[in-house]
Amino acid sequence: MTEDEVLQILDLVEKSNFDYLDLEVGDLKLTVSKSGVPLAAAAAPAPATVSVTQAEPAAPAAPAPAPPAPAAAPPAPESAPASRPVTVKEGAVPITAPMVGTFYATPEPGAPPFVKLGDHVDAEATVGLVEVMKVFNAVSSGVAGVIDEVCVESGQFVEHGQTLFLVRPDENEACCQDDSTECPVPGAS
Amino acid sequence: MAVSRLLVANRGEIAVRIIKACRSLGVESVAVVSEADRDSMPARLADRAVCIGPARSAESYLKVEALVATALGTGCDALHPGYGFLAEKSELAETCARHGITFVGPRADSIRQMGNKLLARATVGAFGVPLVPGSDNVHGFRDAAEVAAEVGYPVLLKAAAGGGGKGIKIVTGDGELQTAFETASAEARAAFGDPTLYMERYIPNARHIEVQVMGDRFGNVVHMGERDCSLQRRYQKVVEEAPAACIPEELRERIREAGHKVAREIKYENAGTVEFIYDEDRQDFFFLEMNTRIQVEHPVTEMVTGLDLVQEQIRVAGGERLSFSQEDVRFDGHAIECRITAEAPWQGFRPCPGTLTDWRPPQGPGIRVDTQCFPGYRVPPFYDSLLAKLIVHGADRGQAVARMKQALAQFAAAGIDTTVPFLAAVMEDPDYVRGRVSTRWLEGRLDELAARRGQ
Repeated sequence: MTEDEVLQILDLVEKSNFDYLDLEVGDLKLTVSKSGVPLAAAAAPAPATVSVTQAEPAAPAAPAPAPPAPAAAPPAPESAPASRPVTVKEGAVPITAPMVGTFYATPEPGAPPFVKLGDHVDAEATVGLVEVMKVFNAVSSGVAGVIDEVCVESGQFVEHGQTLFLVRPDENEACCQDDSTECPVPGAS
Repeated sequence: MAVSRLLVANRGEIAVRIIKACRSLGVESVAVVSEADRDSMPARLADRAVCIGPARSAESYLKVEALVATALGTGCDALHPGYGFLAEKSELAETCARHGITFVGPRADSIRQMGNKLLARATVGAFGVPLVPGSDNVHGFRDAAEVAAEVGYPVLLKAAAGGGGKGIKIVTGDGELQTAFETASAEARAAFGDPTLYMERYIPNARHIEVQVMGDRFGNVVHMGERDCSLQRRYQKVVEEAPAACIPEELRERIREAGHKVAREIKYENAGTVEFIYDEDRQDFFFLEMNTRIQVEHPVTEMVTGLDLVQEQIRVAGGERLSFSQEDVRFDGHAIECRITAEAPWQGFRPCPGTLTDWRPPQGPGIRVDTQCFPGYRVPPFYDSLLAKLIVHGADRGQAVARMKQALAQFAAAGIDTTVPFLAAVMEDPDYVRGRVSTRWLEGRLDELAARRGQ
């Protein structure tokens, strides 16, 4: 999909009675919301997601972790810390867990981590492993850039879609990977 | 070992029901949610919620590894499968056992034994429990023709690995048999990966009667009476009641005893249901199948017995003895459950996902609502359409019906179509009020109910 096409869609949504549009064409997923609060179903991160929030351009496209337990509920036990919400910094792109399981930052115990803070990664780089029932799945970066934040610890249980790293993408990376304010799509800011 | 933290491996109203049972028992709960259910009621109510995958059930609620990995990762010592999804897959029970997680349900061998319809028929037949006349296995069309001649038309062709009404064909005469056999076989292969069929006498005037059973690890097995679930549409239950007030007490007693016997003989553990078909014309009953899980309609049994089946499930799974004996099971009054779904009843029950702009279920004495809905809830299009179960209790069937009418009239739901007005029309129907319904009654009555709506 080209930028022009995205603009056309935004224009159509703006003029329509619809508050919300969820469009999937092949691998590309476009979510448009007039309300500013992305709906739960729209919060799903995907490498090809274009999240455009019109009323509130700075609203994070980060995966909304399942809501924390209400205050009245007993606190989650220590051995089961709830995943903390990660606020995506301006211009940063999250690398998320492709599945539920145990995250490992290193290829084997004692080995150096796949990536560290400040490392440069390309889109194909393996940044960690997620283990589900003794099956290890490599997590690839999906974006070229510099590791800006490491959000989880090795050995931590992570949920599907949980942010593992934040990456500051290289200059030439597509700007619409996140909803950063730098995005030159006029209708989006 | 008593359960201390439980993974709720399901969604919707049953997940809410299980979380509430956990709270009553002082057990911590962990809800698993798909991306579409991040903001759901179970996610809000549980002590912790974990997203396990995308909206598609095959990549979330049906993933054994994801569920067990989450149970291990969050320190759960037990897993409750609810109903549907993986509840009757022995693989889940076995995987839990391998990883030291208590499966809140029967032993894996009971699930396997009763999960295959043919094996179940053979098992139950050996206990002297009556089976519908038919054949356990029809090998090809010629064999089918012979069995049909013996049993007498009309006959039913059913998938051995089946369930949920799939792969079932009614055959009224020789001329239809070949086509029916071939299509049923193909359907069975497509739906269950197994084309094996069996044949049964078709009972035109049938009631669906089922017996709730519960067992513990010490060999104690009790029954908790029967339910009448005859009101069905496309083999899906719509309204359920307890007790089966419309059949003679002597037969009800025999059905309860037959169900109890099945459970005792297989040394059944945890909650289960033995289903029977009751032939209204011959006043006779036959074993249909056994469901090795908690059922959607368990609340009607809870309402007439005053027992909490889900709490009891968690207790006995944790190795405790049943907290009551057969003598303790007492029956009081009559209960009815209506399944309220997100479907447009006057438009062929078209599914209606969307946002509930208004949601105010009725309240009052003798009224219970099991639901995952709340005002503003967005009903996702990915799962079954059950929104709520409205359950009422009355001193007798008449009072229960009257109470259900009032409760449905007070049920405020807007934003999407629901079956509330349809159920209200059923409650007004003279046949229903008199209890004169068979499993096929509703299908034949749909047009008339539609015509009467709004009156």
